[in-house]
Amino acid sequence: MITAFYILFAFALLSIVLHRSFLLKPFALLGLALSFFYTLSAGHEGIKLFELIVEIVLFAVVLHERDEMSMTQTLFIGASSLLLLESESLLSFIIAFEALSLISVILVSQVKTKEQAEGAVKMFIAGAIATGILFLGLSFYVMGGGILLEPLKTETSSFESIGVFIMLIALFYKLTIVPFHGWAIDTYAKVSHVHGAILSGVAKTVVAIAAFKIFAPFLLQHLQLATPLLVVVALITMTLGNFLALFRENIAQMLSYSSIAHAGYMLLAFAAVQSEYAKDGILYMSIAYIFMQSAAFLVLDILRKTYKVKTLKELSGFSKQSPLLGALFSIQLLSLAGIPLLAGFLGKAVLFYAVVDAGLWWVVLIALLNSALSVAYYAWVIKSIYFDTLEAKEVCCADTSFPLMAQIILVAGTVYFGIFAGMVFGA
Amino acid sequence: MSGIELIFGPIILAALLALFFRGENIISKYVSLGLFIYMLSYALSLFAKLPQKGYLQLGTYLPVEKFDFVLTLQVDMLSTIMLTLTALLLILVTLSSWSMKSPSLYFSLLIMFSGAIFGVFMSTNFLWFFIFWELTLVPMYFLVGIWGAERRVYAAVKFFLYTHVASMFILLAFFLIYKESGHFDMTLVKEGVLLSPVLIWWLLFIGFAVKMPIFPFHTWLPDAHVQAPAPISVLLAGVLLKMGAYAMIRMVIIMLPETSQQYAWIILILGLVTMFYAAFMAIYETHLKKMVAYSSISHMGLVVIAISTMSYAGLSAALYEMIGHAFIIAPLFLIAGFFHSKTGSWQMADMGGIMQKAPYISAIFVLAGLGALGLPGTMGFVGELSILLSSVQSFGLWMVVVALGSMFGAGYIIWTLRRVIYGEMSEVVRSTKFSMSMLEFVSLAIFAVFIILFGLFPNLLFEYINPAFAQFELLGGAL
Repeated sequence: MITAFYILFAFALLSIVLHRSFLLKPFALLGLALSFFYTLSAGHEGIKLFELIVEIVLFAVVLHERDEMSMTQTLFIGASSLLLLESESLLSFIIAFEALSLISVILVSQVKTKEQAEGAVKMFIAGAIATGILFLGLSFYVMGGGILLEPLKTETSSFESIGVFIMLIALFYKLTIVPFHGWAIDTYAKVSHVHGAILSGVAKTVVAIAAFKIFAPFLLQHLQLATPLLVVVALITMTLGNFLALFRENIAQMLSYSSIAHAGYMLLAFAAVQSEYAKDGILYMSIAYIFMQSAAFLVLDILRKTYKVKTLKELSGFSKQSPLLGALFSIQLLSLAGIPLLAGFLGKAVLFYAVVDAGLWWVVLIALLNSALSVAYYAWVIKSIYFDTLEAKEVCCADTSFPLMAQIILVAGTVYFGIFAGMVFGA
Repeated sequence: MSGIELIFGPIILAALLALFFRGENIISKYVSLGLFIYMLSYALSLFAKLPQKGYLQLGTYLPVEKFDFVLTLQVDMLSTIMLTLTALLLILVTLSSWSMKSPSLYFSLLIMFSGAIFGVFMSTNFLWFFIFWELTLVPMYFLVGIWGAERRVYAAVKFFLYTHVASMFILLAFFLIYKESGHFDMTLVKEGVLLSPVLIWWLLFIGFAVKMPIFPFHTWLPDAHVQAPAPISVLLAGVLLKMGAYAMIRMVIIMLPETSQQYAWIILILGLVTMFYAAFMAIYETHLKKMVAYSSISHMGLVVIAISTMSYAGLSAALYEMIGHAFIIAPLFLIAGFFHSKTGSWQMADMGGIMQKAPYISAIFVLAGLGALGLPGTMGFVGELSILLSSVQSFGLWMVVVALGSMFGAGYIIWTLRRVIYGEMSEVVRSTKFSMSMLEFVSLAIFAVFIILFGLFPNLLFEYINPAFAQFELLGGAL
């Protein structure tokens, strides 16, 4: 993998030279493709599989993107994601985590409107706070005798434990866990939708997987304290996210709230860490989520730029205007809602089974009812697309062939992982 | 032919048709008709291959060892009968929706539904069963939402949400079964090894009760059935509700016999309440299609009563009534929809005297209505009589109250016939021309033939129905 990281990093640096050239897009795609094949040569199980999928999704994002600056930063995001996923020691985890945060801030800071500036500033402040908290926790941990260059200790003194729990709070900021979710709604919905896809789709899942890898052994030793805490926080997060997502007129806002709800589902894997399925669960959920959430936000970008659609009302009868895009968007929404034969269902199924396996069946009942509730707002968007009558709209002349290709890559992922589970379980 | 093609084939075919033949009006109709005829012949061919005892293996696919996530296709007599019924109904539904608007999307959704429903009846792995179970909702959501009547959006979303919430209970039950038994396969799970059979029983029962539907979980049905286009109402009543009953028999009664016996009285009472409540609602109803929908619920109440006996006779009666209900309720829905499309009204008060304008169609309506109230010589009679007998056998003589259900049935059916078919001809009817396309009429006539044929010769069906349960050990008998 190190090779894959170097490739992406080198391509990202070199791509600055190609700034404002039409070669930038093929160059960035080439970088992602090369790193994909290098990662593939190292295997495709567990974390490796997720790295491959991050590269595929970023490939689709670059394919979709028209803004050159974002392409360069997407490569940087990819490089730091690989670093974060591969980190073993606490120090490398923190460095990669901060790198990812920093690049995310740079990514959203290319503002064109006041709205985008608002989202970017909120993200910057939240990121700064998260970093501060992370270092606070880190100092506790080191003060208690923890060593940075080693993986997180499992047998910890009380000082170290406090440090680790504080560090978890910093991660909750990035994962948009309630009550640290406030920034996410504005940021995800207001920055450019391509950036929204990267932040809510890619960065969030990468952090979740990496954090699970680093913190799972620690949580396993502190079940009595961690499990009730995490369960309560996860349930509040998903319930609040789902209820706030209901009746949103703005589709991007709705997807942001649903992103918070999904963070709640993912947090359940941390609570169910004693189950052998927890690892598979969060991996499957992240794979499903990275495909469907990125795809949904990229569709929003097409909708906003080409069809001038932002709200549900403007989406009325969209299936008659663009049947293919309407169908692709509906598939991703159904997947987000957890409808079978799509990755979203299997992701939730494996994740929730892990929680049942950990003996928390009543938690799963609440989570499942939450998931069923989420159908209400996803189905409402589909209702707008298919059941309502079309109002005459002007369509901008932009070429949507590249974005459609990106959508087809992403929908292939959503469908493939909805039927074939073998790869995730390492079979 | 192993069967998996009939699950994923239609789903892929549906996607291709919707994508590449969007503008075509003809191809999709013939493709779906051909596909459904093939499905019927496949289902019929299974009868010859079924072993005396146990399951006919159709293969295992996509195995994932760790999560026991294997698409295991196995059929026995029960599932083969359901497959045959489904394929037959799909053909007749195709015929009766021949002149539907935007046919390409409509028929591709129908084809997708056929794949999912075959998956439900063929797979014995819980996870795959659940996948197909939920997948049937998606085409139904679109079919109701796009082609439905005035309040279609409300009905479609309510249907989708309500049944999806219920499915969550089922999924949790499956998870608990896997945790406690180590199997995701319904043929391998034994009640004895389960640690919390009562909890699992309740989760499964609530989940399937919504689909059947059993009072008080029935409220989605009148909306969905009334707002759906007539052929889709037929599918909802004839296939989707049967899916619930099938799962109730297979996963509650047969898989968890001891707990079911313990709670048989709850099933019985809910069945009685469902039957009487729906019958009273049907009597009060002046909306023609709603009346048919409530009569459908009332008949499902009968099925629930038969299931609660847990005896061979009772389950056979339940299966017979399920088939009979499908054939009887289908022409009622289709003709109700036809009357609405001609008169523009759902109210019985606006109809009346249709017999004089459309004698043949009215005759079929009368026949199906008489079937619904259990006239001897129709499927309704055999079904209700066998349910009455088996429940008296199991629960004692007081079960003759079931016969009262038939009496109320006679109440609403005869009164409806009086108001809609006979009676004074209303102004609306006088000025309307009742012409029906040949294909629609043919499908109605086929339903009528079945109602009489299997009503006069019930053994044609019982010959297959009785062996369906012979392989299971049932505890039923008395409470």
